[in-house]
Amino acid sequence: MSLGYKNVNFSELKKGGFIRQQGPDLFIMRLRSIGGHLTSKDLENIALLAKKYGRGEVHLTTRQGVEIPGVRLADYQELIAAIKRLQLLPGACGPRIRCIVSCPGQDVCPNGVVNTQEMARQVDQAFFGRDVPAKFKIAIAGCPNACTKPRENDVGLQGVVYPQLVADRCSLCGLCQSLCPGGAIKIVADRVTIDRQRCCGDGACIASCPTNAWVAERRGFVLYAGGKMGRQPRLGDRLLDFVPGEEVIPVINSVLQGFITRRQGNERLADTMARLGTGIFRKLISYTSRREVAAGGRD
Amino acid sequence: MGEIRATKRLDITGDCCPITFVKTKLALEEMQPGEILEVLLKEGDPLVNVPRSLKSEGHRVLQVKKVRPDTYLLIVERGKLE
Repeated sequence: MSLGYKNVNFSELKKGGFIRQQGPDLFIMRLRSIGGHLTSKDLENIALLAKKYGRGEVHLTTRQGVEIPGVRLADYQELIAAIKRLQLLPGACGPRIRCIVSCPGQDVCPNGVVNTQEMARQVDQAFFGRDVPAKFKIAIAGCPNACTKPRENDVGLQGVVYPQLVADRCSLCGLCQSLCPGGAIKIVADRVTIDRQRCCGDGACIASCPTNAWVAERRGFVLYAGGKMGRQPRLGDRLLDFVPGEEVIPVINSVLQGFITRRQGNERLADTMARLGTGIFRKLISYTSRREVAAGGRD
Repeated sequence: MGEIRATKRLDITGDCCPITFVKTKLALEEMQPGEILEVLLKEGDPLVNVPRSLKSEGHRVLQVKKVRPDTYLLIVERGKLE
């Protein structure tokens, strides 16, 4: 069956799953993962699709997606149907919220301090594919090592855990002082002290403490905003020092609203923030935390 | 804490991760639960990674002693978990 351009649903194409490539009537089918996670069944199904509709090969995208190149326009509708049937997820391009990038997080990585995969699912569900003035990228890292480069994204989340000492369990072995990367922990006159300003929230003290004297006081995310790469790269600014997991979605939503309201033309969030200044942009974030609401705005 | 008698002593100051932990794990596997292993290791990655890995595998770090400016001695009790 031959299908020409008139039979193609261009509104669906525009959402980004199907992108023109070099060569006549050849397309790339872009699929997304959520936080880089694909099951072995997904991989088998992608392999089958690549063999049947493409050139028997895939390209792994920088945003943890999988692209099948060499798809013929005539196969578009059949391929879209197959993708839906196999419960694979189409990607996005253009001025939209792109695939959510994430590291494996605490489920797998020894350094992970937050559940990044669950957060990626929530962020994907809330924002993926939403139309915005310019491309908008979100990345999640499970610890301050920041492997997924949150500061190179429009919004970057970086997991942190802030410790608290249960003093009567402490044996004063000094291990935490020796391995604290920020030099925040000091033992002075047989007393363990922590300089909160220098604590980077990587949880090394909690993970290593032989007597479990260091425990997690609060776990959440640092929020960076206004990062991008490309011709004029900019690292994102540390917009909020701590966002609890359950407040991440309203905060990102607030950043998006601030961006949409104050952007000029189709500039990226990085350009809006550079133009306005980070301090002014931060004031636009009208998000109210649940704790603030509970405290009647006095938190 | 008083003096603890070690069954075995291991020097991993010349190794880098992950060999540091592999050697420690192999040494502990040859020991009985409750026996003591002394591990000499360098600060930096070995000191960050070895104690946390020992802890997650069910062993107990009993003492940490700084023996030279960049070298530490861990006193580890072999745990029951395999």
